[in-house]
Amino acid sequence: MLWLIPALPLAAVLLNLLVGGRLGRKGVGWLACGAVGLAFLVALRAVLRLAALPEAQRTVTDTVYTWMRVGDFSADVSFLLDPLSAVMALVVTGVGFLIHVYSTGYMAHDASYRRFFLYLNLFMFAMLTLVMADNFLLMFVGWEGVGLCSYLLIGFWYTRPSAAEAGKKAFIVNRIGDVGFILGMLILFAWGGSLNYARLFAVAPHVFAVGSTVITTATLLLFLGATGKSAQLPLYTWLPDAMEGPTPVSALIHAATMVTAGVYMVARTHVLFQLAPVSLQTVAWIGAATAVFAASIGLAQNDIKRVLAYSTVSQLGYMFMACGVGAFTAGIFHLMTHAFFKALLFLGAGSVIHALSDEQDLRRMGGLAPRLPWTHATMLVATLAIAGIPPFAGFFSKDEILSSAFASGNTAVWILGLAGVVMTAFYMFRLYILAFRGQPRLSHEAEHHLHESPPSMIVPLAVLAALSVLGGLVGPPMQEGGHAFARWLAPVFAGGEHAAAAHHAVPMAVEWGLIALSVVVALAGIGLAFRVYLQDPGAATRLRERLSGLHRTLLHKYWVDELYDATAVRFVHGTARSFWRFWDTKVVDGAVNGVGYVFEGFSAVLRLFQTGFVGTYALFFTLGVAALFLHLLRH
Amino acid sequence: MIAPALFAVFAAIAVVSALSVILQRNPVTSALFLVVTFCSLAGIYLVLHAEFIGMVQVIVYAGAIMVLFLFVIMYLNLGRDIETGLQIALRRGVGWLMGFALLAAGVALFRHPWAAGPPAPPGPPVGNTQAIGLLLYSRYLFPFEVTSMLLLVAMVGVVVIARGRRAPGPAADLPPGAATGAEPRGDA
Amino acid sequence: MTPVPAPQLIALDWWALGAVIALSAGAMLLLLLEFVPAKPGSSRAAVLSLLTLAISAAAVFVARDARRSIFDGMFVHDGFTVFFTLLFCAIGAVSVLLSWDYVRRTGIHHAEYYVLLLCATLGMIVMAASNDLITIFVGLELMSLGLYVLVGFRRAHLESNEAALKYFLLGAFASGFLLYGIALLYGATGTTSLTRMAAFLSESPLRGNPMFVAGGLLLLTGFAFKVAAVPFHMWTPDAYDGAPTSVTAFMSAGAKAAGFAALLRVGLTALGGMPAEWGPILSAIAILTMTVGNVTALLQTNLKRMLAYSSIAHAGYILVALVAGGRDGASAALFYLAVYSFMNLGAFGIVTMLGRGREERVLVSDLAGLGFRQPLVGLAMTVFMISLGGIPPTAGFMGKVYVFKVALGAGLVPLVIIGVLNSVVSVFYYLRVTVALYMQEPQGEPTEVSWAAPAVVALLVTLALTLWWGIQAHDLLLEAQRSVMGLL
Repeated sequence: MLWLIPALPLAAVLLNLLVGGRLGRKGVGWLACGAVGLAFLVALRAVLRLAALPEAQRTVTDTVYTWMRVGDFSADVSFLLDPLSAVMALVVTGVGFLIHVYSTGYMAHDASYRRFFLYLNLFMFAMLTLVMADNFLLMFVGWEGVGLCSYLLIGFWYTRPSAAEAGKKAFIVNRIGDVGFILGMLILFAWGGSLNYARLFAVAPHVFAVGSTVITTATLLLFLGATGKSAQLPLYTWLPDAMEGPTPVSALIHAATMVTAGVYMVARTHVLFQLAPVSLQTVAWIGAATAVFAASIGLAQNDIKRVLAYSTVSQLGYMFMACGVGAFTAGIFHLMTHAFFKALLFLGAGSVIHALSDEQDLRRMGGLAPRLPWTHATMLVATLAIAGIPPFAGFFSKDEILSSAFASGNTAVWILGLAGVVMTAFYMFRLYILAFRGQPRLSHEAEHHLHESPPSMIVPLAVLAALSVLGGLVGPPMQEGGHAFARWLAPVFAGGEHAAAAHHAVPMAVEWGLIALSVVVALAGIGLAFRVYLQDPGAATRLRERLSGLHRTLLHKYWVDELYDATAVRFVHGTARSFWRFWDTKVVDGAVNGVGYVFEGFSAVLRLFQTGFVGTYALFFTLGVAALFLHLLRH
Repeated sequence: MIAPALFAVFAAIAVVSALSVILQRNPVTSALFLVVTFCSLAGIYLVLHAEFIGMVQVIVYAGAIMVLFLFVIMYLNLGRDIETGLQIALRRGVGWLMGFALLAAGVALFRHPWAAGPPAPPGPPVGNTQAIGLLLYSRYLFPFEVTSMLLLVAMVGVVVIARGRRAPGPAADLPPGAATGAEPRGDA
Repeated sequence: MTPVPAPQLIALDWWALGAVIALSAGAMLLLLLEFVPAKPGSSRAAVLSLLTLAISAAAVFVARDARRSIFDGMFVHDGFTVFFTLLFCAIGAVSVLLSWDYVRRTGIHHAEYYVLLLCATLGMIVMAASNDLITIFVGLELMSLGLYVLVGFRRAHLESNEAALKYFLLGAFASGFLLYGIALLYGATGTTSLTRMAAFLSESPLRGNPMFVAGGLLLLTGFAFKVAAVPFHMWTPDAYDGAPTSVTAFMSAGAKAAGFAALLRVGLTALGGMPAEWGPILSAIAILTMTVGNVTALLQTNLKRMLAYSSIAHAGYILVALVAGGRDGASAALFYLAVYSFMNLGAFGIVTMLGRGREERVLVSDLAGLGFRQPLVGLAMTVFMISLGGIPPTAGFMGKVYVFKVALGAGLVPLVIIGVLNSVVSVFYYLRVTVALYMQEPQGEPTEVSWAAPAVVALLVTLALTLWWGIQAHDLLLEAQRSVMGLL
């Protein structure tokens, strides 16, 4: 019955296509949400059954039919449920369902309501195919499918040129990654003889020597695919631009699910990656570098969704970092908690944007806390979660990543991770303060229309907030024999978690120290944010109004602020901004466009041969024949 | 020994005259060189003991088809080269000379007493033509029939192309942006 | 000289020859019927053509499991023949459906159009179904002659005339090379029969014999022209562009498939798989074909020209399968050809529907915003583009997977990498069509679509097959393999 899970959203797509016009808005919304909700229930039932099985047998496959079979090569449309895909399926359908419900409110006034849910359901189908496939080929189908849906949804408001452009950029950058995926897949097939996970992973240790060129190349190519889909260096630029899409799309596709496909893929193929230490090191370094790099850019953004986008890139970096140091459980753990709090952040941001009549600039927000109480409360929970404050979900997973990195001996990676933590805490609280605290800086019109969002949007926020608080409790640190989440995933990563063993080698005191350190670092970031964005400007304004005689003193204090601002903040801002400007627009965009230009140049040159004169054509024909004969004469 | 020599001669003539076909600017001259090419090809066939094909080559290609070609060329009045008096005089001279030669040959032929030769020996040595006929209707029946379809297509094609000259509503048929024909269409 | 005994035909042979007979009879019947003037606006010719194609396909289908060599191998009936006959009949039928309304609104509605189409189909079948170079050549000429005239069918259109003339001149040029190649092969082996040639070669290998090698190469050149492989491809964009769009659809699918069919049969039967010394040559041609086709397509603004270059590129992918060689390579090529034919017919089919009356809209920009105004057209075009670009879950993806899999099996890693890179590049221009469909506003007057029931049927059929073979490719794959295994 596993096939039912992806089939339900697909059925909704087909129904929507066929009779969607007659259902009306309400019907379309019910259909879309109902299908995904049902898929969640089916998945839940399947997972509960899986959990009832003995640990060693927790792998269920469901072969729908044989797709193609050529001699020794066969590809099945076959779904796999093991602890790893169970986590993914539950996250995708669960978070997906909440976001579907939220969308019924958010998109209520959009002209293309039906088209939106059509794409959204199609995406759910593709994503579930991706995570539940039991072979690379079917996974690739889902992989391309989610890319296509993402492209359609980014360009959803296609009348905006920027949206169409962003959609195209996402598609092209993803295609570059796909080259890696396809080539990696082909190499694995050529040497491993199968594309089925179980068969391939079974033979892999015998076929590939540890650290051999073949497996290193193959895994690096696969990782290239992952960097494209999961927006890692150097292929991350499409994700911030993807914020042109509707906010629920950003939440579902560009935060909670699709962008984590790369992490899932690396975790799924951990058997292969562990045979290639060089690839694992690369994954760890790229992840760490992206985590810090994207976080530093996040410091300087003023668009609420862009801050969140860079934060997503950064958090994905943490997940890869975890995979890179061999802590796949931690990576998947963070994937799950991140899905909760990042979806919540985006949906909250969407609620704010909705309330402010499509205002996205943080500089024109402020003081929203009393006006949007639900949004404010849930956003605060999510912000604390992402900042890594206990006992919120993000703390547990991020802490596990950092301690794994430390325990695995990658101290430099660990330091980078720690630097990311302070920045994350800083920019997230900057966002929180600028949006919800301080004085309102709303435009008149936004002020006029300001309203709390409808229940269809608030309820999903509340549920996600609950998950963001409680979601981490499945994996508290320092459990004998690993925490519950690790024990659940153990059959998948069994024997592979050399980092897990190393993890316990760290003495208890050191572990406590690490936890304390990461919390302190996060708190430092938060404190800094409060100081810079809330306390001082507010105090300055207040004092200036009340005591004009003491203006000089205040001015003095203000100078300190200025100095501080000029040295620390502005420096960070400046570097971040110039980094963003230079790297993003020149290097990465330049490279992407450059490839385009080169090809177009070739194209233009080749066109010159097509003169339209028969004589020229015959000449080329003859030259071709002559070349063939010359080739023969050489031998 | 004589056959290779003859082959070489005919082949050389064929190549040279074929080159002349495409190098000549005057279409009539080109067509006449094509006749030469066909005739030398017929010579090659004869050297190879393919008498039937050699004859067909002369009768059908050099004869019928080329006459049609020349007729069309002259009908369309394509050969409008300015010629000097000397060339015309030369050609006239050659024409007269050839005419007299033909006349002389005819007279000589008719004055010779032609007697019927001995009757051909009956039996086995099947003639070239007969062999071809047998093969055409047995082993090569299928390609032969397909070739007949080929000729049918050629005829239909000619009809289509010829009729197109007076297509219904010629003015309406041309779209506003139709190519003027001055430049060949290509990419550049 | 002993006369060859007259051919003896058993009942089964008549079924096997059914397609050839039915097509010839149908074409002649159509011509004769012209003596009885049809009512204006009658669809007599189209209906009759469809009927003829259906009978042809049915006759061959009845005898699908038989293996017969008729007329001393001039016509062979085996799995390969059945596969291609059915494919050509399907291509012909879809083309007739696409032409139905198109020829009427562009003012070329004559019975001769369908006669030529049937005769060209006949030529294709003869090319695929013969074990003798003479018949292959005659079939090729029959197909080409029909196509030359069809390309120039819009006599009042200068572009159409120009395209026909170019195609004709270059086609005759290429035929010369092909014929010369056949002559040299005959000279080297003393036979034009492929089976006897194979027998001769197995007794006295001619590897390195210059006459034999040169003959083979010239033969390859002739077929490379028909399948539009670089550098023998230059007629393609001009001919495809100038021809009536329904003809473009027909020839882009049919002529290419026929060229590959003949090349495969010659290669597999006579030369014992592709000769080893062809390996580097075919690889070079494949790389050039894929790259030049895809890269030149990038900047095309005319949809027909873009699809023409795309069809060149697809010939390159099929050549990759040929380089891999052997029966696996051949079955991959067959599979790809079938898949390619339908997705390409569909894409060109949509172009035939654009515009009203005599107006034709062939620019990519003419598609702007069409996806929402005409959802079926938009959806179908998107699927065809995705399939041509090789993105799952479409047939085009399965075709590429199979071809590259076979090539990997033959150890052609660099060729596969170039192929994959090319397919990535190709997505850029296929994507432009989708972008125009859904993400651009029309400049000037929006394009109208000429709806006609036959064209819609053709569209639905091609769409269904493109999706079906993407979801369930296994059956077609088995057919392709079986037809290659059964080569006589």
